[in-house]
Amino acid sequence: MVNLSKVNIRGAKPNRASKSKNNRSLKMYGVIGGLFFIFSLIQLQLDYSRLLPGILKFGKTALLMFPPDASEWTHVLLAAVESVQVAILGTVLGIILAFFLAFLAADNIAPNRVISWLIRSLASLLRAIPTLIWALIFIVAVGMGPLPGVLAITVGAVGSLIKVFAQSLEEVDEGVIEALRSTGASWLQIVLQGVLPVALSALFAWCVMRFEGDLAESTILGAVGAGGIGYELSHAMRSYQFDQALFVGFVIFMMVFSVELVSNRLKLKMRKRA
Amino acid sequence: MKGEQLQRVRRTKRNQLLLFLIILAVLTIWSAVGTDFTPGALWGGIGDGARFLFVDLMPPNVSEFPGLIQPALDTIYMSFVAMVIGSVIAGLLSIFAAATTSPHPALQIGLRAFSAMFRNIPVIIWTILLVASFGLGKLVGTLSLLIVSIGMLVRCYAESLEEIDMGQIEALRSTGASYWQIITQAVLPQFMPSLVGWSLYNLEINVRASTIVGMVGGGGLGFTIQSGMKLFQYKEVSMAVLLVLCIVLVTEFMTNRIRERII
Repeated sequence: MVNLSKVNIRGAKPNRASKSKNNRSLKMYGVIGGLFFIFSLIQLQLDYSRLLPGILKFGKTALLMFPPDASEWTHVLLAAVESVQVAILGTVLGIILAFFLAFLAADNIAPNRVISWLIRSLASLLRAIPTLIWALIFIVAVGMGPLPGVLAITVGAVGSLIKVFAQSLEEVDEGVIEALRSTGASWLQIVLQGVLPVALSALFAWCVMRFEGDLAESTILGAVGAGGIGYELSHAMRSYQFDQALFVGFVIFMMVFSVELVSNRLKLKMRKRA
Repeated sequence: MKGEQLQRVRRTKRNQLLLFLIILAVLTIWSAVGTDFTPGALWGGIGDGARFLFVDLMPPNVSEFPGLIQPALDTIYMSFVAMVIGSVIAGLLSIFAAATTSPHPALQIGLRAFSAMFRNIPVIIWTILLVASFGLGKLVGTLSLLIVSIGMLVRCYAESLEEIDMGQIEALRSTGASYWQIITQAVLPQFMPSLVGWSLYNLEINVRASTIVGMVGGGGLGFTIQSGMKLFQYKEVSMAVLLVLCIVLVTEFMTNRIRERII
């Protein structure tokens, strides 16, 4: 579920001169954060009396979950395959769309500033709305089944990939572009000969990370009716078949976890090569 | 001889890329067949989606706004509370989960496995699992956000802890400092920037997630959106989606500002 691809928290290294200032603002934000935390806790008016019975009840439910019931495994497996297919299709469509749009959005090679700004704003809009809300919108628009899931994942992937693709393209050495431009190369030639070969491996890494996130998303789409394995889980829980629910939960965990393992290995490989 | 070798390397590289693309294409076609997907369906779907977005959902019903303030605030409160409690718990656990600071390897592996389970089961699945025991409402939403936050933060914190400069720890250890002295004097000061950075990132994720846990009974804006869709109150839904958009964008803006100031 957690997608770590969008962050670069170590972007700015602290320098010694501003350290005391940083410390002071750190303390200030700490105090504000602490106050807001207390305020939120009061405002939430959580019903703590439900906490203990809830934990006990969850313990009982958890006992009912054992042993997991795998008798419906063909059914669950087919749903899992559907989730994987939705994720693959959504990610590939997203990659294709974002690939073309990113060249128009990256500052250093964008042919037109206005178009670049428009595409960036559109991407941040698409990105800001969670995939599950897109899924709800598409379910109403095109009906139930895997199609709204594919569309929702595509929209989410386009939104986030345009941003990271454009960032990777902007990291390409300005000198390369200048050199090609001075030889009178056309825009397409600059992109194909100068920018793309340099940025390709970075783009590839983003695609892998995006797929990791999308697979997690696709497992939950079913919970709102967009097909896939998420539906099996919410169905099992609603009909109090907790042992089946545990089996489905385990399959979901394995799906997400195996992709995390593979992409971790890929990331390590990329880092070694770099 | 050298040129020939270079050419051979280049050729195998190109073949590898080609093979990869072919496999990807086969997988895509397999997926398209499995989900009854056709380019026509995509085109029609985008058309239907756009029509629904711009005709049925527009314009948002602004008069619903006062009723949506409370769920919107709940969304923010839930994500913030989950982030703070999550980072405190994860901060303690990560010290035992990082290879550099863990007192025992078994503890490290156990905690890693636990956090992997917490974060690799999506937040909405946690909500579905917990709703049966804790009932509907904000409590279950906060709890599921908390679980996923802990899962993510333990991993991120532990990875940052493993990257810190071991020289300082060695230096302190050689002076005979105790385990806790080493943690507070050498580890924490180096660890602080990434701790804040990851917590802020976790807040962004929580805000997104808290808008969707409501769809399965976790309170907040997600519930409004889900029920509005079921009751065909599309104008109210679009107002709620607009609020989600604002909350997510404002949170991103603010966390970016804080990150610039602190790190």
